[in-house]
Amino acid sequence: MSAQKKRNFKIEAFKHRVELDPKYAERTWKVLEHAIHEIYNHNASGLSFEELYRNAYNMVLHKYGEKLYSGLVTTMSGHLKEIAKSIEDSQGGLFLEELDRKWGDHNKALQMIRDILMYMDRTFVPINHKTPVHELGLNLWRDNIIRSGKIQTRLLDTLLDLIHRERTGEVINRSLMRNITKMLMDLGSSVYQEDFEKPFLEVSASFYSGESQQLIECCDCGEYLRKAERRLTEETERVSHYLDVKSEVKITSVVEGEMIANHMQRLVHMENSGLVNMLVEDRYEDLSRMYNLFRRVPDGLSTVRDVMTSHLRETGKQLVGDPERLKDPVDFVQHLLDEKDKYDKIINKAFNNDKSFQNALNSSFEYFINLNNRSPEFISLYVDDKLRKGLKGVSEEDVEVVLDKVMMLFRYLQEKDVFEKYYKQHLAKRLLSGKTASDDAERSMIVKLKTECGYQFTSKLEGMFTDMKTSVDTMQGFYTSQYCETGDGPTLAVQVLTTGSWPTQPSAPCNLPAEILGICERFRTFYLGTHTGRRLTWQTNMGTADIKATFGKGQKHELNVSTYQMCILMLFNSADQLTYREIEQAIEIPAPDLKRCLQSLACVKGKNVLRKEPMSKDIAEDDAFYFNDKFTSKFIKVKIGTVAAQKESEPEKQETRQRVEEDRKPQIEAAIVRIMKSRRVLDHNTIVTEVTSQLQSRFLPNPVVIKKRIESLIEREFLERDKNDRKLYRYLA
Amino acid sequence: MASGRGRIRFNVGGKIFETTATTLANAGRHSMLGALLDDSWNPRQTVEGEAAANAEYFIDRSPACFAVLLDLLRTGELHVPPNMPEKLLYREALFYGLLDQVRAALWGPFDGNRLQLVDSVSGRAPGDGTAIRAGPDGGCCVAHGSMVHVYDWMLEEHRPISLDYQQVNDVGYIDAESIVITARERLGKGDGGMGVFSSSTGELRHRFRVSHYDQVKSFTAGALSFGSSDYKIFASCKGRCNEYGIGVWDQITGQQADFFYEPPGCSLGDADKLQWLDGDKCLMVATLFPRTDNCFIGLLDFRDKGVIWSWSDAGTSVSLSLDEKRVLHAIAIEDSRSICVVNQYDDLGFIDLRSNAGGVRWSSRSKLTNRKAPNEESCYPKLATHNGQLFSSMNDGISVFCGPEWVLTSTLRRSYGGSICDFSIGGDRLFALHSEENVFDVWETPPSRFI
Repeated sequence: MSAQKKRNFKIEAFKHRVELDPKYAERTWKVLEHAIHEIYNHNASGLSFEELYRNAYNMVLHKYGEKLYSGLVTTMSGHLKEIAKSIEDSQGGLFLEELDRKWGDHNKALQMIRDILMYMDRTFVPINHKTPVHELGLNLWRDNIIRSGKIQTRLLDTLLDLIHRERTGEVINRSLMRNITKMLMDLGSSVYQEDFEKPFLEVSASFYSGESQQLIECCDCGEYLRKAERRLTEETERVSHYLDVKSEVKITSVVEGEMIANHMQRLVHMENSGLVNMLVEDRYEDLSRMYNLFRRVPDGLSTVRDVMTSHLRETGKQLVGDPERLKDPVDFVQHLLDEKDKYDKIINKAFNNDKSFQNALNSSFEYFINLNNRSPEFISLYVDDKLRKGLKGVSEEDVEVVLDKVMMLFRYLQEKDVFEKYYKQHLAKRLLSGKTASDDAERSMIVKLKTECGYQFTSKLEGMFTDMKTSVDTMQGFYTSQYCETGDGPTLAVQVLTTGSWPTQPSAPCNLPAEILGICERFRTFYLGTHTGRRLTWQTNMGTADIKATFGKGQKHELNVSTYQMCILMLFNSADQLTYREIEQAIEIPAPDLKRCLQSLACVKGKNVLRKEPMSKDIAEDDAFYFNDKFTSKFIKVKIGTVAAQKESEPEKQETRQRVEEDRKPQIEAAIVRIMKSRRVLDHNTIVTEVTSQLQSRFLPNPVVIKKRIESLIEREFLERDKNDRKLYRYLA
Repeated sequence: MASGRGRIRFNVGGKIFETTATTLANAGRHSMLGALLDDSWNPRQTVEGEAAANAEYFIDRSPACFAVLLDLLRTGELHVPPNMPEKLLYREALFYGLLDQVRAALWGPFDGNRLQLVDSVSGRAPGDGTAIRAGPDGGCCVAHGSMVHVYDWMLEEHRPISLDYQQVNDVGYIDAESIVITARERLGKGDGGMGVFSSSTGELRHRFRVSHYDQVKSFTAGALSFGSSDYKIFASCKGRCNEYGIGVWDQITGQQADFFYEPPGCSLGDADKLQWLDGDKCLMVATLFPRTDNCFIGLLDFRDKGVIWSWSDAGTSVSLSLDEKRVLHAIAIEDSRSICVVNQYDDLGFIDLRSNAGGVRWSSRSKLTNRKAPNEESCYPKLATHNGQLFSSMNDGISVFCGPEWVLTSTLRRSYGGSICDFSIGGDRLFALHSEENVFDVWETPPSRFI
């Protein structure tokens, strides 16, 4: 019994797993879903964050993360669809405001939802590679609102319309615009770019294309540029007010392209207001604007530069070719300098001291200065003028400024050796006539030439200065040794010039008066006594004399005349009347010189110490001359100048040219030999290029001349032609 | 809050805590407490501040843990009562979103000379681990045969990554969530290669491909390196045909970005060690004994596919006797323009990167132990650098060298577990894997305390 009663104690397997309420997940989700609804309906004040957070936490903990996440997506999408509807329904102008307001609401709601689901965001999302809640909210907003069919185009149209209105002068709500564009940026840069920026740039391009078309028809160049500049600043301001910073480069390049690059040629060549007019009228402000605008577009500056260059070349060509200007060398050079100053100022003030513009300016000057082969002479004459008198009473610094400017022109010269030739002549005249205004200025000029062209260029010029100095010493020595013998006789001042350093002058015959001849002989003996083996030749054509003359009423004057004039006047010590032929016979100086001397003695009013029969301007060979005892003058000292052609006369010019060509020959030959000596074998073209580059600092050798010199060298057996290749030359040691 | 001057009262599981807004600000806005106090959840506060001052926030959690965490927010220090399991505290910290603060309070910035052994973790698998790698967040993973065991920074083991009998060659972290594994290809199976796995779920997320002439090839992937600045992954690859060399992939897209074919005389496909040099923008490749008889170290420039520097011990010795000093591991030290190497006698040596023909300058200074005949259990030495400190594993210990002359400053050693077969530094921790027992040690620098 008892055994039967005794039931077998059986341990049953534990069948029921401790399971949560199966409805648990559903119930918890309902609580959270309700909370999300309340948040979207601005009714969150009744919600307990702690409870919601705990619920969401528990759902994730109990592996309902997926349900929670997908529930969130569904619920949020649902709300966003409703929001989309209400935005769609908003009336015209209120559309953006409604969108902005809803965006604000959504952001706030998203923040609160994210708070609740924070635990899910931290654990479930990264492990399962889901989009985090915040990003998910933005993506859903993008897909349900911004890219929903009815809103997308309306939003874009509204934004573009507002911008268009602002461009046409209306005031728009910028802060609203900023909020909307910021929303697009928050949704990701691709949303901003695809949904707004790209169409914005397209619309802007067509707007500015139209506007520029219209403006260019009715505005002059300056005004157009002003308007383009204003548009550019407007667009930059727009970006700073309500667009993404990265849009600035893009929109400005659209404006630049449409308003400037597309109309560049038309703008610079605009009639009566284009670049040339601006340059002529020195319109710095317009020029500067053009520079700054054109700089922004490809090929902009080169366009400006090309136009400037061609204009400069054209005007320069006219300037150097103008026969009126050629009459006055000083004026001619002054004009060049003024032109240079003008463009220097433009480049400085308007073109930002742009190096490429400076180079263009320099090359233009180089181009047209060398068009006129008298430029070297004229520049030297200009210096001569300045150093004779032009610089009197001018401070040292100003002298330097003038000389520096001249040097700048000098740099443009291709035929620097021609300049040297003329400069030597002019310097000689200045030194011998004692007319240099300032020794310092002279020396400063020499130093400048030396630094520019080297020692060789100026060694002869410096020799001239040395001669002048030693002459002073020599004269002192002469008078100390001859002290007792001079007495009342004429005083002699001799400048001993080294042959070669000075411009060679054909020594013309001249019969000096006996008084002078005597002292000259004494000087010759003195000089050759101290310097053996030298030869002295008198250069009477370059001398001057001071003579005392007493006229009819006993008035005494001191006459400052040239040596030739002195000789003429001395003849009248023994006669009151002489014919032209008598004078010519007596002193034997060349006829043109004689005529000039007589002209200056007899025909210049106020200085006519001689009288001429018949009274006429020109000297004829059968004229007669009388001592003019009626001569009067306010001054005791009377300076009688020579009627001299300051500028070279045509034959003189030819002569100088020829001399220059002659002088170039040995230089070219020397260059050829130097090159061949080091290279041994060369072809013709290479020789020509190398010779040209070696001599460039002095002059541009003519290839034909080079060829002639080569031939001459072959004749003299310095070179030979290669037997196989006739183009090759060989150096013969 | 006006009356309380920023005082806030909590009721956590029935216990009242009072603290200040300043203390709670240390939790940050993106924590549960930060959100709880945020204005968006307390709209009444701003309107009727008086009433809210007396309100208390109820939180349905354990008060004991809250006390510890509140103390952490107040002081920045973590003091866990002896009766409180760490796991419990971590769980609560995760609830409040304070896990980052807890981790920061647990150990400080890495310093090789101040390391303390904090834990030794035994795994289930038998010994013979291949490699151990430290993760950027303080976790680690251990490769055994065809398995990779993953541990998070709390040293909790996650689901292991199983490669279905393919031998794991190397592992590495892209980030805390992603682990790259290279595996050996088995004959005729077309498997092997390399892939990215999730560290939390162990799932395969991406397989890296190598294609030659637009044909995808199967390959064996060896050593790994990660370019830090341009998000590249480098791996030595051996294919069936001549696809030996270094493959390059993009970390973000996972696509093949480049391939450096092995030039004659340089064995790249077999490389044991790759190291991307950020300053020089080139990759160090080292192929070492016992994989090859001759050791080769080279620097590769991917821009023009050139070997810009190389060193080899080929031809230096005629007799390959056992006593020969062999380079067994190498690491480039960019700051001192040299490559540090170690031999079987645990001597450190340096090769100058500035000259192309230099030899190894063996350093006697680093010799620390009497040269023992290498017994059977010993492992090949390994090298690592971190913040100007050089680490070298030797038998059962790790030596730390500092300064320009690389003077031995510390030794890390534990009494059991056998010799160290691999170690790794990362996430401000050092992990050392022992060869005899399947156990790895965790070394940390204690956080600096203000006392």
